[in-house]
Amino acid sequence: MRTDRPGLIGQSVIRRALPHRFPMLLVDRVLDVLPGERITAVKAVTCNEPWYREVAADTEDFAYPQVLLMESWCQAAGLLATWEAPNPDVLAGRVMLFGAVTGLEYHRPVLPGDVLEHRATITRTLGDTLIIAGESLVDGEPVLTVGSAVLAFRPAEELRPVPA
Amino acid sequence: MISPVLAQVKVVRPPAADGKGRVGAATAVTVGEDETVLPGHYPGFPIFPGVCVIECVRLSAVAAPPPGAESLALAEVESTRFLSPVFPGDELTVELTWSAAAEGWKCTAKVATVRAVAAQARLRFTTGKES
Repeated sequence: MRTDRPGLIGQSVIRRALPHRFPMLLVDRVLDVLPGERITAVKAVTCNEPWYREVAADTEDFAYPQVLLMESWCQAAGLLATWEAPNPDVLAGRVMLFGAVTGLEYHRPVLPGDVLEHRATITRTLGDTLIIAGESLVDGEPVLTVGSAVLAFRPAEELRPVPA
Repeated sequence: MISPVLAQVKVVRPPAADGKGRVGAATAVTVGEDETVLPGHYPGFPIFPGVCVIECVRLSAVAAPPPGAESLALAEVESTRFLSPVFPGDELTVELTWSAAAEGWKCTAKVATVRAVAAQARLRFTTGKES
């Protein structure tokens, strides 16, 4: 049974586009997309993610791992980049790779219970390469801003281990 | 701080000033087959995520800080380039170069596997509890 509600772009669509799976599928829902231009997507942060499994009893720092904020935003950007030609197979065809990121700033910690709203906009297209910029908000306040991320489409073979 | 990376950072070359205002250090991180992220990145084809390579740099930076820097907190990934994939079982060597910045420190890092340079990154850190 499909459980996506009418008009809601949820997991069934996202999983047809991204190869990531638990615990590294870090986009829950797409709120809005204008293919070739921009996307808004959300991820709810919860203390049931596996990073919170082994937390010291006396810790007071429950901030969500900063690099996973980066990953989550990049996955939203990746959905935008592949919206019209999704390929969730990392072993075949052309795969999307993040080649470079610049000016990615963290503004405040994100905590379990926060809902990240990722916004990403394609700023330039150079052949097979896209430049995407954007930000992530919690309760309307920026927690992350991304100056630019370079996504390139490459043959899947480039990801294969070199034979020993 | 909560981390998605289980691997422990080994400081191979402790922080030492080079006499030109910079501080160099080196660490090693072995990516285990049991890293939490791998089952989902990707199923049947594990690749250590680029952001986890950045996390290894951050953990290395915290393990090998410049003299007098306390409570280093990542404020910005000023730039990073992902150059080649990292697979389970790889040992990463992380070369760090610290330089003082207006508020805090910048850390330039080169991360390599035995095969190739995997990533380059320049991170900006703030110091102190307030950040």
